[in-house]
Amino acid sequence: MVTVIGLLGSVLDAGGGPKRWEKWRPTVSLTQHDDLEVGRLVLLYDPTHAHILETVRADIAQVSPATRVDAVPFPLRDPWDFEEVYAALSDFSRDFAFHPEKDEYLVHITTGSHVVQICLFLLTESRHFPGRLLQTSPPKGKKGGPGAHRVIDLDLSRYDAIAQRRALEHTEARAFLKSGIETKNAAFNRMIEQIEEVAVRSRAPLLLLGPTGAGKSHLARRIYELKRARRLASGDLADVNCATIRGDAAMSALFGHVRGAFTGAASDRAGLLMKADGGVLFLDEIGELGLDEQAMLLRALEDKTFFPLGSDREKRSDFQLICGTNRDLGDDVRRGRFREDLLARIQLWTFRLPPLRERPEDIGPNLDWELERAEPLVGSRVTMSREARAAFMAFATSPRATWRSNFRDLNAAAVRMATLAPAGRITALVVEAEIARLVAAWSDGAGGVAADAVERALGPAAAAALDRFDRVQLADVLEVCRASQSLSEAGRALFAASRAKKTSANDADRLRKYLARFGLRFESLPR
Amino acid sequence: MLNIDGRQGEGGGQVLRTSLALSLATGTPFRLDDVRGGRAKPGLLRQHLTALRAAAAVGDAEVTGAELGSRRVSFSPRALKGGNYTFSIGSAGSALLVVQTILPALLLAKEPSTVRVTGGTHAPMAPPFDHFARAFVPALARMGLAVEATLHRHGFFPAGGGDVEVHVRPEGAGRVSRFEALDDGRVTAVRARALVAGIRPRVGWDEVTHLAEALALPRDAVGVDELAPERGPGNAVMVEIERERSREIVTAFGEKGVPAKKVADAAAEEARALLAADVPIGEHLADQHLLPMALGRGGEIATVAPSLHTTTQMGLVPRFLPDVRFEARDEGRGRFVITVR
Repeated sequence: MVTVIGLLGSVLDAGGGPKRWEKWRPTVSLTQHDDLEVGRLVLLYDPTHAHILETVRADIAQVSPATRVDAVPFPLRDPWDFEEVYAALSDFSRDFAFHPEKDEYLVHITTGSHVVQICLFLLTESRHFPGRLLQTSPPKGKKGGPGAHRVIDLDLSRYDAIAQRRALEHTEARAFLKSGIETKNAAFNRMIEQIEEVAVRSRAPLLLLGPTGAGKSHLARRIYELKRARRLASGDLADVNCATIRGDAAMSALFGHVRGAFTGAASDRAGLLMKADGGVLFLDEIGELGLDEQAMLLRALEDKTFFPLGSDREKRSDFQLICGTNRDLGDDVRRGRFREDLLARIQLWTFRLPPLRERPEDIGPNLDWELERAEPLVGSRVTMSREARAAFMAFATSPRATWRSNFRDLNAAAVRMATLAPAGRITALVVEAEIARLVAAWSDGAGGVAADAVERALGPAAAAALDRFDRVQLADVLEVCRASQSLSEAGRALFAASRAKKTSANDADRLRKYLARFGLRFESLPR
Repeated sequence: MLNIDGRQGEGGGQVLRTSLALSLATGTPFRLDDVRGGRAKPGLLRQHLTALRAAAAVGDAEVTGAELGSRRVSFSPRALKGGNYTFSIGSAGSALLVVQTILPALLLAKEPSTVRVTGGTHAPMAPPFDHFARAFVPALARMGLAVEATLHRHGFFPAGGGDVEVHVRPEGAGRVSRFEALDDGRVTAVRARALVAGIRPRVGWDEVTHLAEALALPRDAVGVDELAPERGPGNAVMVEIERERSREIVTAFGEKGVPAKKVADAAAEEARALLAADVPIGEHLADQHLLPMALGRGGEIATVAPSLHTTTQMGLVPRFLPDVRFEARDEGRGRFVITVR
């Protein structure tokens, strides 16, 4: 059975004499539609309109004898007072015996003040009224009749056009967060989807984990710009790397200071928290923040208030915090270097940005994007020969490419190649030189030595053609050779085990033959 | 169980109502697919649901698909029960359409019946009470069927609230005679009457004045019936064509925003067509006669060109009554003869 719940309209539903039938009265019209059978009409009415109620009730009995009308006195002191109307309707919904399992409820929103309509909408959307909205409208033109009625289901997923529009908005937002780069890495794309959901819906802090250069700061800026475009942020983006600020300077940079707060504080300074009011504050390397600043930041997060340095007047700032770090903050908490309560606050939404080497399938699209970005720097269009691209990609996705600084490395490589490209065309030669540069850059420090030795001995192209299996072996052999004065000394060191068992006679010869397979001679190895 | 296609003929509510009437009268169950399939808003609307429920009550029928918007209905009558029935329809439906649906069955029941229906009695797209009581019922009497109709209260669209009472005495049904209405004698009188309720009587007078001119009627052949204002708003004009052995009535309804002259012109045009063809039976009466004739002993009627409603009846009746044959013959100058055997 269909139950309609609505208010008696003090103006729209009023009317007397035969002429009233020529007037469109929304509540009566509800019961006149040939494709809607109202079993029960729950009519909330202001007792001062009892005379309207009596006419409406009698007319409904005539045009729709099967409709039961339950009139409920519903006095409102001020039908335009949001608080009163909401409370009254909310109370009504709480006390009303709904049976959604057997009855269908339609909430008629055409009568009543606009505030009543808004409250009915809110209470229906929140399922206090477990039904759908019913909207009625007068007949078009001079023709009489009950006009039109329309049922509005607030479950937007039921509307194709709206669902499509929403899906498109999501797609656009995700593409925006990815700077339009068509990333293919499933884990990364999943993370972006989650960030998009959270960024649009929440103002709670976000924590971005990931190695240096993985794109934390870039992503934070895109999140801010997305919120700004969606009018979810009205203020600015303020960002700082906490590793670059220490002591009073950190306090002042973040929270501002008043004139004379410390030596050299010649004038007032607003600070980054104020700058981010209504916007986003991105604190990179949050683990580097001092304990005093952590305490202030926590308070600013919880109360939205803080004291500038040297001031006893509180300031207010409402910002969304995004933090970035590459450190294990849990470990920092255990070592007493990071406040546990602050960590609990900022890690509600934690996202880990994978290093570039874990996203080999995304290197190609990102390379294209970086090259395009480099074009204004070099002042011409930048293209890559097919051969050059193949060589670069083979290297970039090989285990040799550690991408230690992730996108920072990729960006640097793209800028360098674009700059050195003859007439804007990156050739195989340019790529080969770039590979050597990257390998050299990654070779200092742990893990880089072995790769470097192979590269130096064979040249980047030949080195790149090696299987990993062969490469580690060769790297170790070359290392031993470098430390040895002669071929024999190196041979003794390399075949020491078989030598002890007397199974190998000529270690030097074995080593020579091994090196010859790579076109190398002991004498001409780089020292 | 008969399978009826709801898109046939006029493709609307008539297919349902005629099928219900025939199913009740013959005891044949049917299934109707694509209910009102020829209409912009297909499926059962409230007035059809009302007819379906009324028929189910009279035939103690087992019904499926009796809900708003339903596109498939099945109807299996178990036993015909005469007696007292009350149906409340509301403004959306015509009281007379419900009466028409159950009347053939009540004429075949063992006991007499009294049917009381509240709703629309003078609503567009349905026979007005006057037509039913003063044209159709007398024709039934000629076949030997005893029906009496009383109007307690007028009900116009949209307010409704009309009240009709119909008495049915079935004892004559066994001795129904063949119905012959080829020539009901000369026209003895033409009268025009306007009904007004809750609107200015002037509107009614304008209508009948126009009609008097259009049909060349004498002054005393026209009149206006003023009803109690609370019955309104409502307005209808009726032209009665009286012959020696029968009466036909054409009706037009006043509508908000439609000038009186236009309403009068619509009625005048239909009346002139009947007079010009010199036939006793108009298009609406013709389709109403086909059921009792088919259920009785057949006959012959002279009428105007068969309407879509009439051909729809001619298509549906033989589904339930396979021995019945219809024949429509064009005799020229707008006169058609329909034979039922």
